Amino acid sequence: MANFNFRKEIQERIDEIKEADIIVGIPSYNNARTIGHVVRAVQAGFAKYFPDKKCVLVNSDGGSTDGTMDIVQNTTVEDFQSVLLSHSVSPFFKLATPYHGIPGKGSAFRTIFEIADAVNAKACAVVDSDLRSITPEWIELLIKPVIEGDFDYVAPLYHRHKYDGTITNSIVYPLSRALYGKRIRQPIGGDFGFSGRLAKFYLTKDVWETDVARYGIDIWMTTTAIANNFRVCQSFLGAKIHDPKDPGADLSAMLYQVVSATFDLMETYAHSWKNIKVSGPVPVFGFQYAVGLEPVSVNIERMLERFSLGVRELKDIWKEFLPQEIIAFLDKAGDLKKEEFNMPEEVWVEIIYSFAVAAHKKIMNREHLLKSLTPLYIGRTASFVIEAWDSGAQEVEEKIERLCRVFEEKKGVLAEKWE
Amino acid sequence: MNIYESAITEPFQKFYEKVIQFLPNLLTSVFILIGGIAAGFLLKGLLSRLFRAVGLDRVSERSGAAELLKKGGFKDTLSVLLARLIGWITVVIFAVISMSALNVPAFERLFERFFLYLPNIFVAGLTLLFGYLLSNFFGRTALIASVNAGAMLSSLIGRFVKYTIFIFSATMALEQLGIGKETVVIAFAIVFGGVVLALAIAFGLGGRDIAKDYLEKKIRCEEKKDEISHL
Repeated sequence: MANFNFRKEIQERIDEIKEADIIVGIPSYNNARTIGHVVRAVQAGFAKYFPDKKCVLVNSDGGSTDGTMDIVQNTTVEDFQSVLLSHSVSPFFKLATPYHGIPGKGSAFRTIFEIADAVNAKACAVVDSDLRSITPEWIELLIKPVIEGDFDYVAPLYHRHKYDGTITNSIVYPLSRALYGKRIRQPIGGDFGFSGRLAKFYLTKDVWETDVARYGIDIWMTTTAIANNFRVCQSFLGAKIHDPKDPGADLSAMLYQVVSATFDLMETYAHSWKNIKVSGPVPVFGFQYAVGLEPVSVNIERMLERFSLGVRELKDIWKEFLPQEIIAFLDKAGDLKKEEFNMPEEVWVEIIYSFAVAAHKKIMNREHLLKSLTPLYIGRTASFVIEAWDSGAQEVEEKIERLCRVFEEKKGVLAEKWE
Repeated sequence: MNIYESAITEPFQKFYEKVIQFLPNLLTSVFILIGGIAAGFLLKGLLSRLFRAVGLDRVSERSGAAELLKKGGFKDTLSVLLARLIGWITVVIFAVISMSALNVPAFERLFERFFLYLPNIFVAGLTLLFGYLLSNFFGRTALIASVNAGAMLSSLIGRFVKYTIFIFSATMALEQLGIGKETVVIAFAIVFGGVVLALAIAFGLGGRDIAKDYLEKKIRCEEKKDEISHL
């Protein structure tokens, strides 16, 4: 178990709290604009659904300079009547602390796990600090399956815009489903519930100097829970609407961290995924309903330009590990116009599996390999956007389902090439 | 009779005596050479196993050096290459020692200078090798980064980084060898400065319209942005 030294004031608060039933963690970095709403939703969730439990809200901050931590400390729900609450409410505790370690979401989560461990929490949840659609019900939906259903891990299930979450839809969901056999629709959703037992288990792993400390944390949490046979389920949370991500955030670095963490997990749990032949559903909680979503603007021409540039300049690198027919396809696709452009599921699956095998066999420097995936990912995203232009939510979901089936069908080839 | 003795017998006699005197040195020299060749091959085999055992190949794979070697046309692993290099250096050193065992003054002077110069060759060789490996590595890093940033001149940027690093390492190697010390450094500075100036002028004049378009798009937000949330 981690033997961790907290800052003096945090240690004093932990000593004061001693033990807690529920912990909800909010990782943040310069989220002053949105975090107040998230804190209020969490507090209302505690009051409305867990009035007799000892609850703690933890803000794990990455050194914000816009007063995020002050907002967390000063925000509170003044009028509980507005959330239809009339019963007496137990006081809840609030901790706001800067996290330690390399900057990233994973390091922020680690501090939350450590505080959960220190107060021996029974159930925990983490929610993003940039959420605009979070409601008190999210806390109930993420925590109750742990407290009442004896589940260890609660993944979120949202309605998202058809062009939202493209790394999830085109790589992480289909790949993790094919590998580990659990149909968890949002494995990197960012808002999760988990048991105190699982938080302690996470702390036993020595991964905090890897990509897990950054964007890799979400897939790592989900995969670790599944591959170690913890009980997993999903909760329907409604729409996921959040502040637009920092436009300066580098897509290639984000993609690299997520894919690298996913491929690392393939190494760790190779003994487990090779024996899984089919995927199955996991229990879903929450009342499902349709929601209206804000439109998302896309620039397909620019995406295709990036793809063509990648094909032109990086083809020689890909030739070292991609099959000849895929290279021939990319050659042709690089010259196509928007109206003709299409990257079929079979080609995309072949590309992802070839990258996984190349990373496993250490064919080249890992960062070079995975960062060279970016133009191909942009090409696949452009193809998906074109294909789904006139499609409704249900139709888009069917397209993703079709992609998942191709990932599952071709898994045998991956296992063979892996050896 | 005297003429015969002084013209033919005596020189032969002297030559025979010199050969008799020289033979032990020659034999010693041949033995040292054979011993050196054997030591070189033995060392190569032993070191190759030792490097493998301590995980040098794993380290080179993780750091990307293995891939660089492959790209540089080296088919063997780093363990084998290093062991072979050390083996050959051993053979060369023994060969030089065996020559000096002949006790020929001209050879001795030559070998003394050679021995003093040997470390320079070794360091220059290493500088060139690492320069080559690093130039490939950083050239590729720059290429991928500029493609992902959407730079249309990605291959030019990649090549520029690659050749700059290699030329820089070649300059260092030549300086180490003492070949045209000042000339090489000055030539490098002139060529490098010239290339940078040429590029600056080329981009400044040739890319004026592109820069104008780009800034206009950025300032007026004319370019349609993506709002896709990838995660």
